[in-house]
Amino acid sequence: MPSRTIVEAVNDALGVALSEDDRVLVLGEDVGRNGGVFRATDGLFERFGAERVVDTPLSEAGIIGTSVGLAMYGLRPVAEIQFLGFSLEAFSQLLAQAARVRWRSAGRYTCPLVVRAPFGVGVRAPELHSDALEAHFVHTPGIKVVAPSNPYDTKGLLLAAIDDPDPVLVVEPLRGYRTVRGEVPEGRYTVPLGQAGVLREGRDVTIISWSQSVHVSMAAAEALAGEGIEAEVIDLRTLSPFDADTIVSSVQKTGRAVVVHEAPKTGGLGAEIVATINERALLSLEAPVARVTAFDTHLPTALLEDHYIPTPARVATAVRATVHF
Amino acid sequence: MTDVAQELARAGQVRVELPREPAGVLAPDGTLYPGARVDEPPDLLLEMYRWMVFGRAFDTRLFNLQRQGRLTVYAPIAGQEACQVGCGLALRKEDWLLGSYRDGLAATVFGRPAELMVWYFTGHPKTGASPQGVNVPPLQVSIGEQISHAVGVAWGMKLRGDKSAALAIFGDGATSEGAFHEACNFAGVMHAPAVLFCQNNGWAISVPRAHQTASETIAQKALAYGITGILLDGNDVLAVYREVRAALERARSGAGPTLIEALTYRFGPHTTSDDPTRYRPAGELETWQQEREPIRRLRAYLERQNLWDERRQATLEEECRERIASAVTAAMAEPPPAPEEMFEHIFAEPTPLMREQRSELLAHLKTLEEKEGGHA
Amino acid sequence: MPVEFRLPDLGEGIAEAEMLRWLVKPGDRVVLDQAIAEVQTDKAVVELPAPVAGTILSLNATEGQVMPVGTLLVTIDDGRQEAPASAAAVQEERSAQAAMGSTALQAEPASANGGRWTAVSVAPQRRALATPAVRRLARELGLDIASIRGSGPAGRVLAEDLRAAAAPPVEEAPPPVEVAAPAGSAAPRPAPSVPLALPGEEEGPAEERLPLRGLRRRIAENMVLSVTTIPQITSLVEVEASALVALRQSLLSAAEARGLKLSYLPFVIKALVQALRAYPYINATIDDSSKEIVLKRHYHIGIATATPDGLLVPVLHHADRLTILQIAAELNRLAEAGRERKLALDELRGSTFTITNFGSAGGYFATPIINPGEAAILGLGRIAKRPWVVEDRVEPRPILPISFTADHRLIDGELALRFLNTLIASLENPNLIMLDMR
Repeated sequence: MPSRTIVEAVNDALGVALSEDDRVLVLGEDVGRNGGVFRATDGLFERFGAERVVDTPLSEAGIIGTSVGLAMYGLRPVAEIQFLGFSLEAFSQLLAQAARVRWRSAGRYTCPLVVRAPFGVGVRAPELHSDALEAHFVHTPGIKVVAPSNPYDTKGLLLAAIDDPDPVLVVEPLRGYRTVRGEVPEGRYTVPLGQAGVLREGRDVTIISWSQSVHVSMAAAEALAGEGIEAEVIDLRTLSPFDADTIVSSVQKTGRAVVVHEAPKTGGLGAEIVATINERALLSLEAPVARVTAFDTHLPTALLEDHYIPTPARVATAVRATVHF
Repeated sequence: MTDVAQELARAGQVRVELPREPAGVLAPDGTLYPGARVDEPPDLLLEMYRWMVFGRAFDTRLFNLQRQGRLTVYAPIAGQEACQVGCGLALRKEDWLLGSYRDGLAATVFGRPAELMVWYFTGHPKTGASPQGVNVPPLQVSIGEQISHAVGVAWGMKLRGDKSAALAIFGDGATSEGAFHEACNFAGVMHAPAVLFCQNNGWAISVPRAHQTASETIAQKALAYGITGILLDGNDVLAVYREVRAALERARSGAGPTLIEALTYRFGPHTTSDDPTRYRPAGELETWQQEREPIRRLRAYLERQNLWDERRQATLEEECRERIASAVTAAMAEPPPAPEEMFEHIFAEPTPLMREQRSELLAHLKTLEEKEGGHA
Repeated sequence: MPVEFRLPDLGEGIAEAEMLRWLVKPGDRVVLDQAIAEVQTDKAVVELPAPVAGTILSLNATEGQVMPVGTLLVTIDDGRQEAPASAAAVQEERSAQAAMGSTALQAEPASANGGRWTAVSVAPQRRALATPAVRRLARELGLDIASIRGSGPAGRVLAEDLRAAAAPPVEEAPPPVEVAAPAGSAAPRPAPSVPLALPGEEEGPAEERLPLRGLRRRIAENMVLSVTTIPQITSLVEVEASALVALRQSLLSAAEARGLKLSYLPFVIKALVQALRAYPYINATIDDSSKEIVLKRHYHIGIATATPDGLLVPVLHHADRLTILQIAAELNRLAEAGRERKLALDELRGSTFTITNFGSAGGYFATPIINPGEAAILGLGRIAKRPWVVEDRVEPRPILPISFTADHRLIDGELALRFLNTLIASLENPNLIMLDMR
């Protein structure tokens, strides 16, 4: 089975989708001739041509707005937003339009749009290139959000997102694009939306995470095992709708939980997970559910960015505090 | 050309093209402009007239329904019937129409049942569901965003080799929104079969067109995007019909997009919550109503052609009253949506959370009902 | 029939309007949508059109009147019969009324009560500190968590606090409890009267079920824990207690003068503690989870006490530091607190060794069960005269029967007997206690 990086898995998925469904087209800035600034669409322009792999003008709102039209018309656009932070430019078309097409037309029109965008700290990028904005989308009905952490899930979730009849935002881990490698089967397969994955079983505490923070959590779990603390690590994979059942079962077993994410703490998806655990597993809790997140500040410049996000040490500290509460 | 211009021309492409002269057929008094001809068959002319009269009467009725508390709000179209009817009749069945909250008449002319326009303003979710075969996505509230959608639809048509076109209708205010510029730009780059129809009624609520842009015209903005720009008298239904039809034809045949600016005037307030006497100069409305009225000018032409008379007017007005009464009655007779319908059509399938919340709501309502002995 | 027209919401949440002037009067015929009145809102002067064609019956608002949305303006006779009109028109009517109704709801002025809420000051209250899991456990054990003293951080109630706590579920007051009965004066507990079913009487159900909860449940769990984790041997020995009896007798009045009732228990405890010092493995336990022998350096003697609600074990802390009289006083205090159910949590925790004085009820030997967390338990039977061999003669002597159960993992039979011999020596010759008295 081939070993692929995350960005290669994206490329693989797009190639499969373009070759199997002629309604699919890929569009975005620099995705065509250049193969994408991260090579996510490398080679696709040569294989499928300018009408299916489209270099668009520089306008996120224009990309998403026209994609809404393409999708309403019956095509399956897969739009790339070069960095998730730039999606701010397209918020209205994403949240007031794409997310509402089916609802506004009482089902008469649908919007099977996929938007892909990388995010995450670790490549020393300038402002707005690393921002984790997933909470804004999770907070909006009518749009799904998916966050793969590894190459296998990247390909499978992206193909599932393209199949989905409703708009899906796929946030990809920027740092992991080239550094995370894994086995990826050839051809078509999907990973279902709405299902979390338990990456590591444990009795003592549940760690819930997604995207780049999964790797941080796993590193922390390994270190903690040496101290006799066995952590169960859950990779959420889909952020909206998220798999509350898996989280709740795990917390009912362990009685303790820590949520780890890169986005700022207040109003982050971690808060929603804590609320869900509160509603459904309160009586199992031996300690408050902790969150290890970025701080409630703007994402700092490159020289400080490593201090901003969760690290294995910060996660381990939080786990110990939870275990010894 | 100066030396600099020559130099620039050598380095790239620098061409200056003025927009075409404004188009017109019927002058305000109902006579023809010099050199203009009417080739449209009498039946079509009568159809245009009937729709405009219906449109005005429907508009008045809806306005009054709001004043009677039966619509939550209403955005009147009075004075702009020529734009609406000209667009609606120019479209072919396979084309798509994407408009705003004020473009219900165009949608109705294009084949969308009139009830949907009533439901738009009573707040019934059925307003968004055009019947199959009527390509009208829901009328947009967020200013200008439909223009991008129309370009996307047109682009999709081109990719599929579908010989249709997409028409976006929007106002002068919308041309300040980013979506207008993004859409024009994409339309030009993608050579999309789109017609972008700016219904310039002079006002964006209380802001006059002169404050909306420093450009002399909106049509000339087409230059900037490398697409065709047309300026016309929006109260001349024949000019509107012809130019929109021609633009749709050009689009379908692969000749690319067109930006049309149609000059008209909003007789009524922005909506039933607005008071235009606060900001419009005295006399402006009366001038348009008396000198540039769209319905009267066509009627004058028809009467001169012996195609119309007082008796037929009375018959038409009675027909309109009946059509409107039955449309309003049918719309009001539609049962209100059940509360649980809130959870429908968010996704193809509701998520577990949505199912949970739906059950919570139903259980809550049941409890209330039981407490109050059956009264919800 | 008369159609009522009420002031609608004229636009985006208007709450009221002023009636400016009527354009019609009663008796006038009007057509549908004909302007019948002008009203002034905060946005504009608005004409109101007639909702139906018909005859004006009555004008219900006066010029100059400020009307909230929903106010009845005018009644129009629409010329229809009482009999229901076409379904659609009726529905239209109904919808119209519904629309009026909903706008009437919106017409509630925002400031019905004058528009101001005043803040109240809230007296701070605090609940017991406990995690949700512990609270659930408290509920399961039938405990009022607010009454449990917490041993965790900041006084947090822990699960172990609950397990050790008393939670008598029974409402009736228990009969008086004696912690230790003086020899000879112990009255046997009255045998409960048992109603016998006589032949011919009706038979009731074959069994009665009661929930196992509270203290009884906790006792059950402790007993099971003890016998399933600790292999226990019991040694039965007799102490010739005549010297002990004489000693106590000689001190009774002095103790009474100090306001104290003196039983044998303080002397036994003193001797016991000295013996525990000499044999540290008796005042110990095995920690199963860490596989360690824990030798305890403090001497906290649990006194197993029978109460009507069940077995309680109040603890005499630092028994080695207390005088005989202090021990007596503390035993009395604990007994009274036990009777009145006022034992605090830390008075029920922390024992390193337990005495069970079943002799007060008149027992002889027994096989007491070790308190989990300890290595041994000393059972005292009733001091009573028994035949005793003294230099080949049989004489009646007061005999104190001792039943000593020990953790056989930790304490071999030989060690147990050496310990017991030391204890017996001190009890048979109490003056020996003086030698190691602190």
